[in-house]
Amino acid sequence: MTEPKIRFDKVSKRYGSLTVLDRLDFEVDEGEVVTIIGPSGSGKTTVLRVLMTLEGVQDGVIWVSGEPLNKMQSKNGMVPANKAHIRRIRSRIGMVFQNFNLFPHMTALDNCIEAPIQSLGLSKAEAVERAEELLAMVGLAEKRDQYPSQLSGGQQQRVAIARALAMRPEIILFDEPTSALDPEMVGEVLSVIRALAAEHSYTILLVTHQMGFAREISDRVCFFDGGKIVEQGLPNELFGNPQNSRLQQFLSKVLEAR
Amino acid sequence: MNVRYSAIAALIAFLLGLAVATFSELRIFLPALLRGAAVTIEISILSAILFFSMSFIAGIGRLNSIRPIRWISTIYIEVFRGTSLLVILFWFFFVLPSFGVVLSPTQAAVLGLGLNFGAYGAEVVRGAITAVPKGQKEASAALNLPDWKSTLRIVIPQAIPIAIPGLSNLTIEMIKATALVSAVTLVDITFASVQQNQIHYRTLDIFIVAMVIYYCFSQLIRFGGAILEARMTRHLARPH
Amino acid sequence: MDWQWDFTFEVVLPRLWEAAGITVYATVVSFAFALVGGLILMLLKMSSFKPVSFVASEVIEFIRGTPLLIQIFFLFFVLPQVNITLPPLTTGILAIAIYNSALTAEVYRAGLQAVPRGQWEAAIALNLSTYRTFRKIIIPQSLPPIIPALGNYLVAIFKETPLLSFVAVGEIMHASKLIGSEYYRFNEAVTLAGIFFLVMSLVAAALVRATENYVKRSILH
Repeated sequence: MTEPKIRFDKVSKRYGSLTVLDRLDFEVDEGEVVTIIGPSGSGKTTVLRVLMTLEGVQDGVIWVSGEPLNKMQSKNGMVPANKAHIRRIRSRIGMVFQNFNLFPHMTALDNCIEAPIQSLGLSKAEAVERAEELLAMVGLAEKRDQYPSQLSGGQQQRVAIARALAMRPEIILFDEPTSALDPEMVGEVLSVIRALAAEHSYTILLVTHQMGFAREISDRVCFFDGGKIVEQGLPNELFGNPQNSRLQQFLSKVLEAR
Repeated sequence: MNVRYSAIAALIAFLLGLAVATFSELRIFLPALLRGAAVTIEISILSAILFFSMSFIAGIGRLNSIRPIRWISTIYIEVFRGTSLLVILFWFFFVLPSFGVVLSPTQAAVLGLGLNFGAYGAEVVRGAITAVPKGQKEASAALNLPDWKSTLRIVIPQAIPIAIPGLSNLTIEMIKATALVSAVTLVDITFASVQQNQIHYRTLDIFIVAMVIYYCFSQLIRFGGAILEARMTRHLARPH
Repeated sequence: MDWQWDFTFEVVLPRLWEAAGITVYATVVSFAFALVGGLILMLLKMSSFKPVSFVASEVIEFIRGTPLLIQIFFLFFVLPQVNITLPPLTTGILAIAIYNSALTAEVYRAGLQAVPRGQWEAAIALNLSTYRTFRKIIIPQSLPPIIPALGNYLVAIFKETPLLSFVAVGEIMHASKLIGSEYYRFNEAVTLAGIFFLVMSLVAAALVRATENYVKRSILH
């Protein structure tokens, strides 16, 4: 068995008395596309946020490519990771946010070259070349000099995807990437994600409410409830023949709403 | 709601000081400071009444559909915000008499403070009124309420809680600004401190006690404003 | 109303003009110190070392909770007693600067907090260093709210300088008081002082608005 790309080992996360992740065990293999679904408050977004180190965890270890993320080895065993260690490990991870979080005072191109120049140490020419390629890939080559406020929601999210890819991550996290979009813009963003998933060179973790899309692109779907994985499996099995009663309830509610 | 630790500490220190004062050297200047505090409180209360009234009159006036009313409100707001309070106080006390209007020191102080802060308050009230969602006004129109009724019964009640933090900040500023009333010969805490300092030459004690008194006033208003705001908004679900 | 034009032109205007220089000087110097002082107080308040941030935040609150005038008097009387002898103007400028540092500290803090959390998160996701995050992401976005607020404090400081007349600094209010007591005529001097402040404030407010628009246009698109 090769080491999984991402491994959560009994990870717990609490806000006060509220448990968001409850001794979670969870693995994702290299190149795998995994979708996380579940009701709000089930902890599905928290999985992405702790993986991106936007939030810490109380217990457990998160492993990325066999190296601990929130801990590090020292001669006294595992100790909490320091800043440099976290920065090194998390450079393998990129994230696309629900609200895009583009930098509003920078053009689309500047958004995509700022971090590669500063964090990866690319020259400006290299960074621009790569950013232009990526913007072309998401179909926005001609928008390079526009500011986020001059772009539609769908275009902003595609720039955000290009920005995340510009950091050459091995893992990409999508946190409800289409939830903040008008319905007519959902398609353009999904088709970019679809293309990435088809490449299988990235490990992708996606949180979404788009069940049809999850079924189409995922290698595996996980249903979260109460900070745990309640059921997981191949998309066709999970959607076609759900076993768990809470999953059945959830799916019928979601499908009803459509 | 956060009560500042220093506010509690200051209050305890003040009460303790009051107790100690009876037996110690504080006794020699504290009575004079407390008489000053009484003047500060009196001026503050009277000015606050004028300040709140002017805030609402000019704030609502500035949004009135009748142009002259809007102009008068705007001129009042700009003039009294644009000049310095001390100059206003002087003007009321020393220049107004030559127009045949002779004001007592208290009248000059209250008029100066009330009108000056009323101009600032008017902007707070105006901001609060415009912050009430437009849909409220449209809903009132849909219910066929006359314009003045929808303003008075629908818009203003919703604007008041929005205006409270701003108005309570201004109230604190106003109480602090009463320190200027010695310009019109009133003996408030600040001037009493200066006098006591000249007599007893105990600068540190006198001024610290005086500042703590002001600080207690400030925190009291802050606390009161927070309670009032919480009370008025508790039944409103806060959409986010 | 009793108004003498000769007196206005021959006595009042020249003396107020001279004093206006001191008013402007006191305003500009206090403001400059307040800008730096506020930054220092803000950094202390946001320190991750709890005792420092606690003390800083209580000090800020105490300065804000007491009148500027009594702080001026306090410095004016206390400094000589600890053998620091400064000219009244310097003492006054110091007091105004300290008082306004407590206010600008809050401006800086509010400006930083106005930047949405998502911007910090995006910077983390892109693995930017703390320095780069501040320099390239956070500070440029917090300037649009900070700059007009600081401009308003510049105007406020300008309107606070008459308090220096209480400690006999020869600014514009003190000059009008002196004229009043020398000639037993207050009308011209006090009215002109009022007009001076009104005009300067209106001009300054217009400038602040213009700067605000300029900053908005050049930084946020």
